[in-house]
Amino acid sequence: MLAKYVARRFFASIVVVLGVTLITLVLMDRTRGTYVPGIDLNPSLRPDDIARLRADLGLDRPFYVWYLTWIWGVLHGDFGRSMIDGSTVMSHILDRLPNTLELTGTAILIGVVIAIPVGVVGALRRGSKTDHTMTVVSVAGVAVPQFWMGLILILIFSVTLEQRGLPWLPSSGAYSAVNGGDFFDRLEHLILPATVLSFFYTSTWSRFIRSSMLEVLSQDYIRTARAKGMSERRVVYLHGLRNALIPLVTLIGLELPGLVSGGLVVEVVFGWPGIGKLAFERALQYDYTTVMGVTFFATMLVIAGNLLADLLYGVLDPRIRYT
Amino acid sequence: MSRDEVADDKGFEQFERFLEHWSRRDFLKRAGGAAAYMAFLGGAVEFLDACAGNSTTTTTTAKKGGHVVEGNFSDVRTMTSMLSSDTASNQVIGLMFDGLLNYKKNGDLVPALAADLPKTSADGLTYTFKLRPNLKFSDGHALTSDDVKFTYQLAYDPAYKDVASPRRGDLSKYIKSIDTPDPQTVVITTTQVFAPFLANHGLYGILPKHVLGGLEPKAINTAPFNSGPSVTNGAFKFVSWEKGQQVTLARNDNYWAGAPYLDQWIYKVLPDSVAVTNQLKTGEIDIGPVDPSQFDALKTTSTVAMAEFAVPTFTFYAYQLDPSKPAGPLFQDKAVRQALLFALDRQSIVTAVFFGHGKVANSVEPPTSWAYKDKPQVLYTFDKAKAESLLDGAGWAKGSDGIRGKNGMKLKFTMITNAGNKQRESMLQVMQQSWHDIGVEATPSLIQFPQLVSQIVNIRTFDMFLVGFNWGADPDESPLYTSDNAIAGGFNGADFRNAQVDSILNDALSTLDRNKRKQLYGQFQDIMSDQVPSPVILFNTGIYGVSTRVQGTDFGPFNQFAQRPWNHNVWVTDGK
Repeated sequence: MLAKYVARRFFASIVVVLGVTLITLVLMDRTRGTYVPGIDLNPSLRPDDIARLRADLGLDRPFYVWYLTWIWGVLHGDFGRSMIDGSTVMSHILDRLPNTLELTGTAILIGVVIAIPVGVVGALRRGSKTDHTMTVVSVAGVAVPQFWMGLILILIFSVTLEQRGLPWLPSSGAYSAVNGGDFFDRLEHLILPATVLSFFYTSTWSRFIRSSMLEVLSQDYIRTARAKGMSERRVVYLHGLRNALIPLVTLIGLELPGLVSGGLVVEVVFGWPGIGKLAFERALQYDYTTVMGVTFFATMLVIAGNLLADLLYGVLDPRIRYT
Repeated sequence: MSRDEVADDKGFEQFERFLEHWSRRDFLKRAGGAAAYMAFLGGAVEFLDACAGNSTTTTTTAKKGGHVVEGNFSDVRTMTSMLSSDTASNQVIGLMFDGLLNYKKNGDLVPALAADLPKTSADGLTYTFKLRPNLKFSDGHALTSDDVKFTYQLAYDPAYKDVASPRRGDLSKYIKSIDTPDPQTVVITTTQVFAPFLANHGLYGILPKHVLGGLEPKAINTAPFNSGPSVTNGAFKFVSWEKGQQVTLARNDNYWAGAPYLDQWIYKVLPDSVAVTNQLKTGEIDIGPVDPSQFDALKTTSTVAMAEFAVPTFTFYAYQLDPSKPAGPLFQDKAVRQALLFALDRQSIVTAVFFGHGKVANSVEPPTSWAYKDKPQVLYTFDKAKAESLLDGAGWAKGSDGIRGKNGMKLKFTMITNAGNKQRESMLQVMQQSWHDIGVEATPSLIQFPQLVSQIVNIRTFDMFLVGFNWGADPDESPLYTSDNAIAGGFNGADFRNAQVDSILNDALSTLDRNKRKQLYGQFQDIMSDQVPSPVILFNTGIYGVSTRVQGTDFGPFNQFAQRPWNHNVWVTDGK
């Protein structure tokens, strides 16, 4: 049953991947005009140079021919080479993937670890001062733009602290430019971007857990559990929390592609060499192949994340059956 | 008293203790800071003097060791000189590879790998280079005339036509043959006299034939060398490239001018100009390009010295001159073009948009060029009355809506530039307002950079565009202004066609004598000042912030990005 379900989802996903990549390509191709990726206004370039480079990149062919060639390559495991720098798209993705996973993985982890207790406390002490404070903070977390918060943190924790001769945190990159890269160096660089990103996750998720917890706590089976004389702790954490977490699983499942792209704004502000930043920069430069590669990758992750969330439902809620 | 409040009180007490502790520490630090500040004031005069020049040279003896981190906005694309066409790549290539020649600060040529400037034959067609004796690549392999020939072959020899070199158009047109009578002599024969040949094509980093020579031409486009050259000939050699983050280079002990003082040079990619400012302040980077808007924020930082210099970059707007295009008929009359320029207060643009870091342009040649003419035939100082009388005289009368018109046409058009460039966006707003004041309706429109390039180079349905252009050391500007560059793919997007300009620019290209060329470019600038097909608003300045611990940099108009004959002389005072 389960195998059949997964297989069906898999075949449906092929259509999704084709659709998403095709739309990406058409959007880029239609808005590109006659721009040749990698070629700026450079007086030393002659018209015939530009024409030749365009042909080298295959941009003189209609987009559907280009697309079919690309798909053919992908089916053979070849994502092509970047139109900007000639390196393979795979090498770009693999270079940046660890950085992105490091950042978003940490942020999601912090988000879950903080959001669950915050949401539960908010639900248990609904209407209290603590609840109100946490509400204000999480609304701020959703409302404050990440780029702004990032810049303010840089200003305070990098520039101002450094200028006052206090211990300060690095403002960009994943590790120090010189002799960097060990564990503590990376950790130091991770603090600011992970803070911004997890603040957003924490705020959203804690709200969900709070309302989901409130809903669960008003259910009949909770009243039954209490009536049976179960301790409050057992009622809340065993019967309440487990059921309240189901919507969070969807949310986090949907956030899986965010592992790759969710940190885009944060990555750009903090100069974090991750996939989001790669996709952003390359989209602006019309680097077809790289953008298509990242899109393909992200689409696969969305599909996998959704599937994983659906499967986890079954674990958390035995009432759910796959057909 | 409830439980919560007790907890709060305890927490508050703790917080107070922390605050007290922290501020005492801070006070001590500040006391130290104040002492340092007084010391700084004491030495301020000498210090400011040192900052005033572009150079940070000093009399103290240079120290060996340490590193410099240079920040910039773009990541590198390729590290192979013959494949590169962007500034970021050229900059990193310049640290690792020397060419035959290099630029002085003023754009004059100096020998690099060549022992001397080349001998030019009497007919101006042949250049004979002698290489310095005992040149070596970083791996100890000798660098000979064969390597020079191989490097140029990649871009001109039909046998290598599969190499995707952006230089092929020029080099295959002008190079007839390259001969290497002995390992130290290179003879380049050109097909015709081409004055900018050395300035434009004599500086490409020389590549190692013993590494790349064995590859098929097509394989060179994707060679691992492009993303990590195993062998170099410049001041530094390649260590690593973490894409999107940094390129790390190390001292090349085989460098012909002697091993550099620094152990490492790191090129770091930053998100934007604000990040450059922040990181110059924190010391995360030592050198970085400074945006005019950030100048004041950095000037007050005692650990950063500023180098400011004129650069051969200008910002201009261009009228649509092709009469078949919708806005073409508006700008056919030069009185209209002149009037619009007279109506612009360009000095206020420099002051307001560039914070004074720039120079109003009198000419289409950059003031950094030896061919620059400060007072060409027509000078444009802000004169609204003159602008209005020119338009009146040309028959463009104000209608009931306050907009000028003639023969049923309205003086109404759209101006495009690239979104995201704050300075250009502001300039369009100033232009809109200034022209509105004389009865012209110009509407700004922001598009993405690739679309702007498409508009200028191919599509050309624009009414007016605003963009910047960066010139080389040679005063030739034919890519922008000759009629043969008005074809699809050329940069003369405004469709400016003037037979006299065509012939002057072509003559100047085939004349080697600098005085004669200067005269020709003088005539060219006179005509351009009269015709104003695409008026230059200002010439930009280059601004670099350099940490005071870094010595020996010597930025100048032509020693900014790739061409830095001084990079092996850079050292750091703390040796770190």
